[in-house]
Amino acid sequence: MSEIAIDVQNLSKKYLIGNTASGSLRESITNLFSKNKWSATEEFWALKDLTFDVKTGEAIGIIGKNGAGKSTLLKLLSRITEPTTGRIEINGRISSLLEVGTGFHPELTGRENIYLNGTILGMTRQEINSKFDEIVDFSGVEKFLDTPVKRYSSGMKVRLAFAVAAHLEPEILIIDEVLAVGDAEFQKKCLGKMEDVAGHGRTIFFVSHNMGAINTLCHRGILLQNGKMVYSGETDEVISRYLEQNYSGSHEGSVNFEPNFDHKITMIKASVSAESKAGNDKIQAGENVEICVEYKVKQDLVGSNLSVSLFKEGILILRNWDTDKFPEYLEKRKGGTYTAKFVIPSSFLTLGQYSVSLATGIINQGPIEVKSDCLSFEIENHYDDLSKTSNNKGKGGLVNLPITWEIRNS
Amino acid sequence: MTKVIIDANQSIFKLNLRELFSYKDLFYTLAYRDFKIKYAQTFLGIVWAFIQPALTLMVFGLLFSRGLNIGTGEVPYLLYAGCGLATWTYFAAVMGQAGNSIIAAQNIVQKIYFPRLIIPLSKALVGLIDFAIALGLVFILALFYKFKLSPNVVFLPFFILLTIVSSLGVGIWLSALSIRYRDFQQVIPFLVRFGMFFTPVAYPPDIIIKKIPQWGAIIYYLNPVAGLIEGVRWCVLGTSPPVFLSYISFAMIFLLFVSSLFYFKKVEKVIADIV
Repeated sequence: MSEIAIDVQNLSKKYLIGNTASGSLRESITNLFSKNKWSATEEFWALKDLTFDVKTGEAIGIIGKNGAGKSTLLKLLSRITEPTTGRIEINGRISSLLEVGTGFHPELTGRENIYLNGTILGMTRQEINSKFDEIVDFSGVEKFLDTPVKRYSSGMKVRLAFAVAAHLEPEILIIDEVLAVGDAEFQKKCLGKMEDVAGHGRTIFFVSHNMGAINTLCHRGILLQNGKMVYSGETDEVISRYLEQNYSGSHEGSVNFEPNFDHKITMIKASVSAESKAGNDKIQAGENVEICVEYKVKQDLVGSNLSVSLFKEGILILRNWDTDKFPEYLEKRKGGTYTAKFVIPSSFLTLGQYSVSLATGIINQGPIEVKSDCLSFEIENHYDDLSKTSNNKGKGGLVNLPITWEIRNS
Repeated sequence: MTKVIIDANQSIFKLNLRELFSYKDLFYTLAYRDFKIKYAQTFLGIVWAFIQPALTLMVFGLLFSRGLNIGTGEVPYLLYAGCGLATWTYFAAVMGQAGNSIIAAQNIVQKIYFPRLIIPLSKALVGLIDFAIALGLVFILALFYKFKLSPNVVFLPFFILLTIVSSLGVGIWLSALSIRYRDFQQVIPFLVRFGMFFTPVAYPPDIIIKKIPQWGAIIYYLNPVAGLIEGVRWCVLGTSPPVFLSYISFAMIFLLFVSSLFYFKKVEKVIADIV
């Protein structure tokens, strides 16, 4: 078996923005006669000079903001589109979970669709025959095998499609945020199957906005920004660089919103700081973290609330509603301007970067304003006496609680 | 273990036929899908493949033989037109389906890789059933007319193969062109309808050829189906062998097919980006 599963060299992909590329016959003919051939188009490099390799059995996470080039990279790897320059060498069968159920035809029966979908994915009929019973077992639709798929529930369809994809047994698996679709149970099943695959020495290529999933699944990460590789290395480091990149700019210790006074409740500004010192987004471990939100209520409201959510590396750590503490505000909140203060108790948080999301809403009517990742702060440690092992950076764990230990030497 | 190399500087003269062959099961499955869908939920099912040419032949007989008095020599008109109709119908159906096939499959094409050529190629298989039934109808009519079939019929498979190749050649061209220029979607039904008049389906080619100058005849035979139909008639009915001009048609078949493969290869690279 070859050591390198995927070898990518100087990979670039150019798109032409404008409408000439897919244009009409008329445009092509006029282009033929005009000197300025690409007058209406502009070049856009979705990927530029990417070079990296992935070893066999490695799970690698691709991280980046929307438009960083993640999907283009996956499209190139799965050969849906061809690169403008550069070269990719792939050792082993590659399959992507992004195409779950591709080619399913509603008029065909479940059995026929297994063959159709399987051959589209690159299996031979013989391979499908040998795995047929397993696929049917996994999908749990054996009763309806000879029923046209158009009579299936959407859940049955997804299960059948996933069963086929899961039994493809590729050496390299590409996963592009499939976890965003399907219910919780299905997501769990996908993740389980992926861990399964990873455990069998297969190579995984994972793209997701779910930092938690990337962190648990991947050994290594690649951070993309504007089509270029900014960093590649340990998953932890890649994630924290990604988060830094996200919070640089307007996301700081305090933020002024653009309030919309037509809303029933509108947020004006918010800040995060150590309880003692205002306006500092670096917080000494052990100090209380204080989040202040100023908001305006247009008129007397019933059922309104404000929620604070705290994330670390994309994982929700806690979410809290002001009405839990003050139920009287749920019954009635008078018009006017308010300042709410939310204090996270001392030493509950481990070292690292955090982000805060705020939301206002009315019960049973849904949210009014949602400010995702509007604040960020970092817990640091400057004092030696607090640098106990449990609180060290990189020791893992999301929270730091005063645990009671009992040690007996008998 | 499979090894794949994707290189931006790959030569466009490499057709990668071995890879195409490794997807032969997909070819059959897609053809089966088309067959199933075509006849699913129809009451008469495959009987339609018999009814359509039979009714069309009746109309042809009424119109061209009785009405316009077109003579076909010693061969009964219905047999003469039957051979033409079977060939043309197959050609037109495969050309139309293959021509639209890539755009129709765009949701698959944008999500997963396989040799795209499989899609238009798979359209050639299903039409063969209709082709066989339509030719079967000619044989049945021959029994009815007590018409003795020609011994040339042993060459029929060769001409059927040529028909497949010619319809794919045009179909693949159209499928690749319609990716780049949607205008070609409009061209396809036009070609099907218009083309039949310029193909000797319902009449002997002589009635036109004799009345136009030489260069007109050459243009007439640039139509690949023109020579094909003469070939099929020669096989089944023992009419005069394909005239010299027919070889223009046969050359066109070869030219169209080979060039279509290369043009498709060229467009294949950008299918997912522009479909």
